[in-house]
Amino acid sequence: MTDCGCTKAKAELEEFLHNELESHDAADIREHLAGCSDCSSELHIGVVLTEAVQRACKEIAPEQLRDQVLFSIRQIQSTH
Amino acid sequence: MAVAASTLERPRSRSVPAERIVDLPVMTTVNTDPRALFEEQAIPFLDQLYGAALRMTRNPADAQDLVQETFVKAYAAFAQFEQGTNLKAWLYRILTNTFINVYRKKQRDPYQGTTSDLEDWQLGNAESATATGTSSRSAEAEAIDHLPDSAVKDALQSIPEDFRLAVYLADVEGFSYQEIADIMKTPVGTVMSRLHRGRRLLRGLLTEYAEGRGIPVPSKESVGAASTKTSTTAPATRARQKKTTPAGSTAAGSKGSTT
Repeated sequence: MTDCGCTKAKAELEEFLHNELESHDAADIREHLAGCSDCSSELHIGVVLTEAVQRACKEIAPEQLRDQVLFSIRQIQSTH
Repeated sequence: MAVAASTLERPRSRSVPAERIVDLPVMTTVNTDPRALFEEQAIPFLDQLYGAALRMTRNPADAQDLVQETFVKAYAAFAQFEQGTNLKAWLYRILTNTFINVYRKKQRDPYQGTTSDLEDWQLGNAESATATGTSSRSAEAEAIDHLPDSAVKDALQSIPEDFRLAVYLADVEGFSYQEIADIMKTPVGTVMSRLHRGRRLLRGLLTEYAEGRGIPVPSKESVGAASTKTSTTAPATRARQKKTTPAGSTAAGSKGSTT
């Protein structure tokens, strides 16, 4: 396991996951991932983590907050 | 505010492309009224901003105040918003600013930023909890995938604020590193490191949580399994585990011989 691309892939996995790599770098990583179960399992955890955070953070504002916000905006307008 | 109203109209009417007016006939009428425009464009972000505010303030009452204040400020500054640019990022900038300048100061409890001691301790922790081999990784992924939302929220709440924000902005809101850098007023490099460390912390905490609930995460192979269950003094166990993690290299090594 000296360097079969794992070092580079692991180092850039987060950037890959967040779509921050140049297209050719992303292509390199994608190619490496296709043949490396070690790195692709690491990526999979990253993806699952992102999805878990997204799921957990879905919020709906209380109706009363919406009303309050609209009310204050209209107040501002009417004072001018 | 007659002056503001006239300055408002100029950039707006210029920036609405002709084809959009055709597509959305409403826009032409809405265009003349800044309040209607604001309500139409900015209010739809209310739920999202509230979600972010909850992560920031960590309590619903402050989150509501923060969102309220953000919208009032945003409305007052709406003339400066350049139509056609990213309104969501603009609103998040105001939200983050307001949080940092008003709420972080108001919340008299110690600043929950990136205290290095805490950070390193937690990071060491997180590292030791996470899996190394391919099969343990898929078990870890499976475990994280099945955690209740409340566990994920708790874990998020417990990581340092700057890390939490970076994770939220990237993973929930899908902002680019550059956008997060603009929102948090930090260099992109700082965003990257906060995001990486935040996510590593989170992963470690969630894996630990899964283990605590008896969801098998065979990260430590034989070594960890026994010691985690018997010990109640967590930090000591963690320290020991951290030292024994070279066991991780055996796991990685054994990967080669997987059939």
